[in-house]
Amino acid sequence: MPAVGPYPLLRVDGLTKRYGAELAIYDAAFAAFPGEILGIIGPNGAGKTTLMETVTGLASADSGEVLWRGELLPVARRRNSLFYLPDGVRPYQDQVTADVVSFFAGVYRRSAAEVDAILSSVGLSSVLHKRVGALSKGYNRRLLLSLGLLTPHELLLMDEPFDGFDLRQTRNIIAVLRHHAERGRTFVLAIHQLADAERICDRFILLAGGQVRGSGTLEELRETTSLPSGSLEEIFLALT
Amino acid sequence: MRSPKPYAQAAPLRPLLAKEVREILGGRSLWTMLLLLCPLIGYSFYQAVSLYSESSSAALQSPALATSLSPLDGILVPTLGSFYVAVTLLFPFVAIRVLGQEKESGALRLLVQLPYRIPTLVMLKLVAVVLAWLLASLPALSALVVWRVLGGHLSFAETSNLLFGHLLYGTLVGALSLFAASIAESAATAAIVALAVTIGSWVLDFTVAGQPGFLAWIAKLSLTQTLRPFEEGLLSGGLLLGIAGMIGGLVAVASVWLPPGVSLGQKIRHSVACVLAIAAILGAATQTVWSVDVTEDRRNSFAAVDRQLLATLKLPLVISVRLAPEDPRYADLLRNVLSKLERTMPNVSISLAGSRHYATGSSDESYGQIEYSYGTRSDVSRSTSPREILPLIYELAGVSRPPPMPAHEYPGYPLVTGANVALLWFFGVLPLLIALCWWRSRRPRRADFHPVHEGGPS
Repeated sequence: MPAVGPYPLLRVDGLTKRYGAELAIYDAAFAAFPGEILGIIGPNGAGKTTLMETVTGLASADSGEVLWRGELLPVARRRNSLFYLPDGVRPYQDQVTADVVSFFAGVYRRSAAEVDAILSSVGLSSVLHKRVGALSKGYNRRLLLSLGLLTPHELLLMDEPFDGFDLRQTRNIIAVLRHHAERGRTFVLAIHQLADAERICDRFILLAGGQVRGSGTLEELRETTSLPSGSLEEIFLALT
Repeated sequence: MRSPKPYAQAAPLRPLLAKEVREILGGRSLWTMLLLLCPLIGYSFYQAVSLYSESSSAALQSPALATSLSPLDGILVPTLGSFYVAVTLLFPFVAIRVLGQEKESGALRLLVQLPYRIPTLVMLKLVAVVLAWLLASLPALSALVVWRVLGGHLSFAETSNLLFGHLLYGTLVGALSLFAASIAESAATAAIVALAVTIGSWVLDFTVAGQPGFLAWIAKLSLTQTLRPFEEGLLSGGLLLGIAGMIGGLVAVASVWLPPGVSLGQKIRHSVACVLAIAAILGAATQTVWSVDVTEDRRNSFAAVDRQLLATLKLPLVISVRLAPEDPRYADLLRNVLSKLERTMPNVSISLAGSRHYATGSSDESYGQIEYSYGTRSDVSRSTSPREILPLIYELAGVSRPPPMPAHEYPGYPLVTGANVALLWFFGVLPLLIALCWWRSRRPRRADFHPVHEGGPS
């Protein structure tokens, strides 16, 4: 686990989001530190996507604030610091995969060597000639991951990054994310598969019913729940 | 403590534009429109050449008849008229795609996080739409080439002015489509919104055009009105300002509605500000009278000596017309005299006096009278010809009529020819070429990766 500095990279305080009368997120608070992989864990409908979209400014918050290195981060400036990869997006289906990658590489002025390295690491090179609409779910997920890694942002938020991968592929992608985290990049991952989360995340935010029910490393959560050898699944059930 | 990096300051536009162009070329709608345009424009062109040729047969025996034969009226306007219909009905589907696809696929959530300001995103989409319009205009442009090959005459000023008008109209329809796509959740809904406006414009034209007062003002809002001055050979400053204001306003409102995560109230407040700005620009446009007559036969202008003298008459000229708006004499008067006076004199006001009470063929004795008041003097005429009305105005102003100057006579351009070769082009060769280009654009290609920009991370 990377060293935790005095200031978190990202701090979220009292975030609340309503859809009409429905309370999607209530008073959510958490922090992400430089170089760590933070997992937002919860079942389907827990509010993970809403929380991430509200943090990135893609959904308006009713109250709460987002701080970047201790300073208030207005919605208009969040895209300078955070990049969010949504779940279920199949971008530019009529375009060739290489063109979509080229678009992001061009926007962020990535060199061919950097792009090649990212494409190789996520295993996308073999389908670059295919149209995005013809990619399988797994390869579409690799494309999204490539796009995220092509951005220069210090913090990446990813919604269900392992959805569509089998066990071996998941392990490979975990290794890729870990490699980038070791080089200083911070990841916030929304994951509903607890086994995947336990394998990759340094710390966890446990979300249920739009509320944060617990947070910390696995050891801290075990201590909180008095389950010294409890799995993340057992801890989650104990806290929610 | 470090602030976030301002990536937005240095983001290159080229990859974004390239993506938009690929997106519009990658869809079926543009290619389908191109294929439909071939027979549509081809048949209009064939009909126009046939009719022009018939009229020319008679004109070859009479130079007086030949002067009435202008390729602008006989060939350009009818041929490009079919292009106008296609742009009105089909082009919204092409333009909506550049935004609607991203909304439906969820890619918009990636796009708005890129280091571009939202108006930049919308503007570049509009540029891609204009490029698509240019591609879609190829069948129409090829008709002009065929006309030249057949031996027809084209005036550069008239042709370029008319093409410019169509470009503005296409851009306006494109901007309207982007606005519709920005407010609608799906491309289908956006298409309904865009077509409701374009087809609604036709309805406006049919129902209230030619009516006086407020209805006339409403009719001027019709999109179809934007092309009329260009078809008449006029380049109007007020119209240019109005169209530019509308396009800019639609881009601004689309930029307000595009980004997710902005509250409805904020969007409405910003939209109201945009609408007020558009209204102010349209108001200024109605007060702009500058225009240029680009026609070769100078159909929109008096003789040079008359223009010079009329421009010196500074007092208000008030013209009260007692004619029903649908009376053909009113149309003649408007075309031959009133519109020319408005373009020439600094202060002219025209009113249809009591037009509500008149129907065509009214038995009222005063029906058909046109009263001209200049300073303290006034006179009445029933003529619709400048040969009688200009002396009347000079007399009211107390100036003597200038002696006529010898001027270049418009010769007319009769041409007797067949257009069968055009049928072969529009119904055979051109659709095949378009289909071939479409097929090539869909072919799988090498998977080499070529980044648009070389260099390290910003």
